[in-house]
Amino acid sequence: MLEVNSLTKTYDTFDFGPVDLTVDDEVLSILGPSGSGKTTLLSLIAGIVDPDGGTISLNGDRLNGCPLQKRRTGLVFQDGALFPHMTARENIGYAATDRDRITKFASLLEITDVLDRRPPTLSGGEQQRVALARTLAADPDLLLLDEPLASLDAPIRRRLRRELHSLFTSLEIPVIYVTHDQRTATALGDRTAIVRDGAIEQVGSPMAVINRPATRFVARFTGNENLFDATVVEQREDTTLLRVGNIRLQATTAAAAGTTVTLCIHPSRIQVHTPNGGDDCHDENAASGTIDRWLTEGNEYRVEIGLDDAPITLTTTIRPPSFDQLPLEAGSRVRVTIPPAAIHLLR
Amino acid sequence: MFPTKSRTDVSAGRFDWLTVAFLLGAVLLCYYLVPLLALVLSQPPGVIIQRLTRPTVVSAATTSLTASITSAAIASVFGLPLAYWLARTDGRVKTVVTAVVVLPLVLPPIVSGMVLLTVVGPNTFIGGLAAANGLQLTRSVAGIVLAQTFVASPFVVITAKAAFESVDRSLEYASQSLGKSRLTTFRRVTLPLAWPGILAGITLAFARAIGEFGATIMLAYYPRTMPVQIWVSFTTLGLENAFPVAVILVGIAVATLIVLNVLGTNPLE
Repeated sequence: MLEVNSLTKTYDTFDFGPVDLTVDDEVLSILGPSGSGKTTLLSLIAGIVDPDGGTISLNGDRLNGCPLQKRRTGLVFQDGALFPHMTARENIGYAATDRDRITKFASLLEITDVLDRRPPTLSGGEQQRVALARTLAADPDLLLLDEPLASLDAPIRRRLRRELHSLFTSLEIPVIYVTHDQRTATALGDRTAIVRDGAIEQVGSPMAVINRPATRFVARFTGNENLFDATVVEQREDTTLLRVGNIRLQATTAAAAGTTVTLCIHPSRIQVHTPNGGDDCHDENAASGTIDRWLTEGNEYRVEIGLDDAPITLTTTIRPPSFDQLPLEAGSRVRVTIPPAAIHLLR
Repeated sequence: MFPTKSRTDVSAGRFDWLTVAFLLGAVLLCYYLVPLLALVLSQPPGVIIQRLTRPTVVSAATTSLTASITSAAIASVFGLPLAYWLARTDGRVKTVVTAVVVLPLVLPPIVSGMVLLTVVGPNTFIGGLAAANGLQLTRSVAGIVLAQTFVASPFVVITAKAAFESVDRSLEYASQSLGKSRLTTFRRVTLPLAWPGILAGITLAFARAIGEFGATIMLAYYPRTMPVQIWVSFTTLGLENAFPVAVILVGIAVATLIVLNVLGTNPLE
């Protein structure tokens, strides 16, 4: 188990921490924008940078002051950091002289065919596999990965994501995976930590972080674009009645009556219907509006809908075939419904 | 990447600036090559070879080679650690140290000789102490080595620094994270990757040392190095008698360029 307590580091223009973190034998994704301190956290844990304060311990042993080469910490860099003057086999052999070990990890990561090639002749995906095999061959007690998939093409990234997930699960050591890509973070991480300005804003399961963000920043960073102020009208037994403009909404999150809260609704949770559709939904969580604009994003459509009874614009994502079944274009009238469980309240 | 030549440019028949640039540059090239060829062809090869075997020429060549190899070795022993330190250090101290390293390059060699004389001259503390222990720091091979090391060692430091800097630090971190010590990391990762650049720096330092004149003549008129021998031959017997040694130095300069290009890391390119 990795334990990080009150870890701090001050640079000329950037203050990191204090950060507290505990990672069991699991994969923790560290998600945050560029310059938020993700790599600093990794560098501090790895021993590349010395902290100004705080403690780092692995399986009960304190790592502060312990040199990088004695930490038994595996590091995988964004570009692989393979030794260019060695073949793939020599790179892996650099960490493990045992031939069986080289064969084992080469086989595990499906790089047996490229073992006698030098890194510059390998594809990005192959380089990352070799880098991972080299790191694992050293039998680390902790694995740190700094955006190893970031520079890969999308199809290779998707494939490696799947493979890495099962590989990490089998390792049974703490794994910290730094990324700025939400999809990679949620696909690989048992838990996700959101980092901002050198501090951790929220740690939780990927779904909890996306559906129940703790702050506006986390909400926006995880794609929760619908953030609106609302007044709590009434707190019922298991629901909370809210008002935004003239629209009444029911939420399952508790809040004190009379207070002002911030509503947070993920675009994927909003349902769009024809003007007369959505009747099966609760009246209080339905509203009519007009499509302001839409655009294609990959295989889904991002639609902005101006509501009639509140001065807000809802952003929603729709995937085919739903989009094709709706007569959607700018100016079209629609009806939206929001499940009470999809409404999260930020205080 | 931009194409190097477009079909449109060729067919349009525009004013060819590239050719004009080359022709202007060719004037300078001629200025470099004509005197060199004139030197080499000024006398029949037989005469040059005959003069090359004279005792004064052989002695000067031996002294120069011995001193230059020693200077290059000293520059490497002390310069490479400094180069590595500079490559892996940040901040203002690095800037100051780099400036100090470059200083001998911009200092006129004759002034370098004067500067050295104030420290190792016969009437200085260090010079006196060395002489008392049987080591003459002036008018000796030791003096030549001191002068050559002063002016040539920056080539090792600057070139090797660039070579070390070209080795990505993440490679060293990766090596250390795999359980290897700093020394092993340096030996197996940093040094092999920086080696061509380091060798280029040592070659440049050797070439600079063997051609050193200004500082050397201040510290050690005797024993004569090849540049000093050229000067003496020229001033006492005339230009023609200086040719044989000059041809040797031209040969060493050409060999240096060949070595640098074979290494593929000519820092002068």
